[in-house]
Amino acid sequence: MTAPLTETNPPQVCWNCHERTSGTHFCASCGKLLQMPQAVDYFALFEMSRKLWIEMDGLEQKFLQLSWKLHPDNFVNATEQERELSLKRSSELNDAYRTLRDPVGRVEYLLGIEGARKEGEHKQQAPPELLEEVFELNESLDELREAKAARSDLAALRSRLESAEKNFQGKLGEVDAQLQVAAREWDAALSGDAATRKKIMAQLNGLLNRRSYIRNLVTNVQKELL
Amino acid sequence: MAYSEKVVDHYNNPRNVGSLSKEDPNVGTGLVGAPECGDVMKLQMKINPDTKVIEEAKFKTFGCGSAIASSSLATEWVKGKTVEEALSIKNTDIVRELSLPPVKIHCSVLAEDAIKAAIGDWKKKHGVDVPASEKPSH
Repeated sequence: MTAPLTETNPPQVCWNCHERTSGTHFCASCGKLLQMPQAVDYFALFEMSRKLWIEMDGLEQKFLQLSWKLHPDNFVNATEQERELSLKRSSELNDAYRTLRDPVGRVEYLLGIEGARKEGEHKQQAPPELLEEVFELNESLDELREAKAARSDLAALRSRLESAEKNFQGKLGEVDAQLQVAAREWDAALSGDAATRKKIMAQLNGLLNRRSYIRNLVTNVQKELL
Repeated sequence: MAYSEKVVDHYNNPRNVGSLSKEDPNVGTGLVGAPECGDVMKLQMKINPDTKVIEEAKFKTFGCGSAIASSSLATEWVKGKTVEEALSIKNTDIVRELSLPPVKIHCSVLAEDAIKAAIGDWKKKHGVDVPASEKPSH
């Protein structure tokens, strides 16, 4: 991946004054709200590099500033084009903030824009050991369900379910910790060579896959505990 | 999203749920998964070593209704077929039979992969080389 790691977006031509401008949100020449450039991603929207460690206070402040500037209320007397732009850009800003604020969503998004994670028609592979493990965990959950349906000793069952939940939560915590480690490695390799970056992306991808299995198990066991 | 009648039928009355002995030399086991949605599917078949006919097929799937229906249908279809016939089952056949919507196509792909993985496992046990085209594709 050779995407430039510049903090700002490539210059675009302002729709109003037709000057080439390097602004992200507003034209540097005439001050008009700019159109969303095609290539812009959520990191660039906040004028950040594609680092996975994000300082939350800073992100929130930037978000508040930008949402204030882009807010449709500022454009009630502007042209229809500007009103529409402000609406579109505000909603995009909200999406961007929601995505970047969530540590897992952020990794998913990064892998998406780096082309390392393809959603949809079966592009992901899971390692056999993971499948074995998940299958077994699911089977034990199934046994608990059956016992519940058979109305066997409910108190004992509850404690088994609770310990299963603890177990799954523990695994989720492990994956999240591993994700954090890999995220730090990503940040450190941000300006490094492509091969290293690719390796870390594959690692992040594998961890996300593992996480989605374990997340399902946690949800399922919690359903039984309700 | 509404499931088709056939999906609901397979979901409510899944055929051939269960497992066969993994250690049995005539049993092939395929375990596949779709990480995006957290589905896991295990498909096993018992294959007659002389006639190469699939005499028994069992599945267990942890996943959505479409994944369960796809694997249930797959076990029904492979039973009585020869290994070669079973390998010709395509995910699109499953999509058509169950009227799966586009967002659920990956469930049918998973079932096709499971058939291939199970047969691949059986072939491995019998020392048959598995051509790359019969390994589960992703």
